[in-house]
Amino acid sequence: MNRTFIRVVDLYKRFGDVVALDGVTLDIFFNEILVVLGENGSGKSTLAKVLYGVYVPDRGKIIVDGSEARFSSPFDAKKKGFVMISQRPQLIDDLSILENIALFIGEPPSGTLAKRIEDFLKRFDIGIDVHKKVFSISYTEKQFIELAKALLINPRLLIVDEAATYLPQDLKTKFFEILRRFVSDNRAVIYITHKIPEALEIGNRFVVLRRGKVARVFNGAANPSELRHAMFGTEEYLKLVSRQLLQRLSKDSKNVLSVDKLVVLDDYGKTAVDGLSIDVRAGEIVSIVGVAGNGEKELGEAIAGLRKASSGSVKIDGFDVTKSPPSERTRKGLVYIPEDPFKEGTAVTLSIIENMRMYARERLSQDVVLDAIKKLGIVPENPAIQVSKLSGGNVQKVSISRLLLTMPKVVVAHNPTRMLDERSRALVLDILQRFSLSGGGVLLITEDVDEAVQISDKVAVMVDGRIAKLFEGGNLESFRSEIEKAMVHG
Amino acid sequence: MARIVVVKRVLPPSLSILTRFLTAFIGFLIAVYITSVATGLGFSETLRTAFESFLDLNVFRYISVFLPIALGLAIAFNANLWNLGAEGQLVMGAVGATYIALFTPLGKMDYIAPIASLAFAAIIGLLWALIPSVMRLYLGVNEAVTTLLMNYIAYYFSSYLVKGPWRGRGVYGYTTTDMIPDASKLPVVPGYSFSWYIVVTAFVLVAIVYLLLYKTRFGISLRALSSSIAAVELAGISSKRLALAAFCISGAFAGFVGGAEILVYHRKLVEGSIVGSGMGFTSIMVAWLGGLNPIGIVISSYYTAALYRLSFALQIGSAAIGDALAKSIIGTLFAATIVAEFVSKYKIVVR
Ligand SMILES: Nc1ncnc2c1ncn2[C@@H]1O[C@H](COP(=O)(O)OP(=O)(O)O)[C@@H](O)[C@H]1O
Ligand SMILES: [Mg+2]
Repeated sequence: MNRTFIRVVDLYKRFGDVVALDGVTLDIFFNEILVVLGENGSGKSTLAKVLYGVYVPDRGKIIVDGSEARFSSPFDAKKKGFVMISQRPQLIDDLSILENIALFIGEPPSGTLAKRIEDFLKRFDIGIDVHKKVFSISYTEKQFIELAKALLINPRLLIVDEAATYLPQDLKTKFFEILRRFVSDNRAVIYITHKIPEALEIGNRFVVLRRGKVARVFNGAANPSELRHAMFGTEEYLKLVSRQLLQRLSKDSKNVLSVDKLVVLDDYGKTAVDGLSIDVRAGEIVSIVGVAGNGEKELGEAIAGLRKASSGSVKIDGFDVTKSPPSERTRKGLVYIPEDPFKEGTAVTLSIIENMRMYARERLSQDVVLDAIKKLGIVPENPAIQVSKLSGGNVQKVSISRLLLTMPKVVVAHNPTRMLDERSRALVLDILQRFSLSGGGVLLITEDVDEAVQISDKVAVMVDGRIAKLFEGGNLESFRSEIEKAMVHG
Repeated sequence: MARIVVVKRVLPPSLSILTRFLTAFIGFLIAVYITSVATGLGFSETLRTAFESFLDLNVFRYISVFLPIALGLAIAFNANLWNLGAEGQLVMGAVGATYIALFTPLGKMDYIAPIASLAFAAIIGLLWALIPSVMRLYLGVNEAVTTLLMNYIAYYFSSYLVKGPWRGRGVYGYTTTDMIPDASKLPVVPGYSFSWYIVVTAFVLVAIVYLLLYKTRFGISLRALSSSIAAVELAGISSKRLALAAFCISGAFAGFVGGAEILVYHRKLVEGSIVGSGMGFTSIMVAWLGGLNPIGIVISSYYTAALYRLSFALQIGSAAIGDALAKSIIGTLFAATIVAEFVSKYKIVVR
């Protein structure tokens, strides 16, 4: 029999005109992983933050072990044994790993603590010096540090807000193992995600949020189709992502992007891109797939001009731009969609419309702005809202909106859909396809093999900074397992 | 055990403005209190004088300095560029205006003289700001340090001029130039020491800067610079050019003010520290107190100008006391600015 651990009763939270939580009621049982699913902006993070004491709800109660708990800060929540890990690591960059963890759990940064942390990490084959400053470690490492930090205070409820969503699959599997082991002993996990496959992989029960309300609760088994209907009210969007090759390539269309023998170093001076060459012709979609850490990030940045190329060249529409700053490349016809919309894609302190005005070369009418918001499904639809107030997926959509507001020759996008829910992902892939049909070139750098095989003309597998294998022609979906094999084994 | 915790918060705009007003008001009361202690005048007497300084038309004498400079600085600060050199840019502007007025034939031409002097003052201020911005953008030298140090170079440069090559023939022991020709002078309001021309120009600048920052792609991108240089670059806008432009505008505004100080107030070049008398530094604070927003800066420059008036209205005893008083009032204002910033972003809770 399921015993109730936490009851959330009629939670209500609004921000200005936006109702983020609109009467949410749900139960969390002992020993379960409860998945909270929902489209971008449905209120998942707000729910998590209310449970963790970051926000005080306007109305409603949180009942823990039968009595009401009131949190006015994460400090209170922590005392009750609640901890949250979120999508963006909350570590202090200038402190060491050890100091960060010591600060969080309220112990001195002693040698024994260092040992405990190292032992914890070793269980997941992460051998890392805990005296390293946080700014020098990778995203994946940071997320495992976050997990270690959370588990070391021995919590009863662990809230995971898309914290594992962006990890490479093998590490994600490990992350999940830890979660499963964690809940065995009168504890619980709330696992928040917008990805259906991930939800099905980890969840015992499923709560779907839609526009701040509980749309449906699945006690036990759920299937993708039912989840989609609960999340979006439809499955129609799936039809958008089908191959639209339609012989759009005329044989002699010219290169809009040429990357020639490019060598790029990573932040530590190691070779990340190792003499890579690739061309994208007008009207073509080329994908580069790879497991994170094989140089895709550095490749994208070097094409955009955010990172220096050590040798080799980059040409946009025939112009050599190897030495040009990013702004000049953009003016020559490149649009680069960076992986992190918060850091490089948008100016978060400005409003949606101000960001769009920045992207567009001409003056934008209000109609064009509203149209872009509609086409991408940005919520809330108010253009005057500050980007920092949007949910992560919607920030990414603002960053992508430049595709609708400018007329580039070539688009280079790095993991453009990974922050997006399934429907928004379909909308964005559709926009990329339309762009190529109208004669633009697309270079899609992605970890998502599905989207690569679904929309591309060619798929290149990147391993250790080089193209290990190139797949083209015919039905790329049939190469899928070969592609996946090449990604891991080169 | 009770703990004091500082928590981040986001105030709605209306409350944030209210907080600023309240802190400014408290700062005002403290300033009045300091003044009353220092001068031996009663608190209520001082308070009355203080209120009078808010209604005194001569606040425009200081508004015409603070408002344009702070507007220019707001442009730079919005882009996260630390121009701390308005004082020097003002002084160099004064040098530029004096040059046109005294040493070129333009200085004796009606109408043309003031326009040419002010334009040249703005250009010199701009060039003075260009040096540190080029050093920052192409050599990576921190602009806060260079702009700050260049203030003193400007001080010494103008002092050198008035003691040496530009020293007036009819000035006896004083270290000043000769008076500028009448054609170069801007008329002041009778009985006061400001010119409506400059005041009107300052308010026109408010409108221009407002439109620039909020309604143009240039201004929007400029404001974007403080959150992400990469985002600006990827939008196809050169962050270097933006930064250069922001710096130059702020320098030009300060230079313009320096020119106006010569044509309206001093009417001859005096030593650098007297031309600037710290008003360029004070303007940094005026810009922040106004929340880096052109409309906010109108209010903060009025407020600061009134307190400046107060410190001089109550000048009894030696000049040293007056000066010390002015400095402590400015110090109070500065503290109030920081407190206002803090209170609008954080709250303190005891538990
Ligand atoms: N601090 C905030 N200020 C204003 N609006 C917010 C804030 N946080 C969230 N919102 C709004 O609340 C809604 C739900 O956001 P969120 O909970 O982050 O969604 P998600 O399900 O993607 O995690 C969104 O429309 C978002 O714009
Ligand atoms: Mg979220």
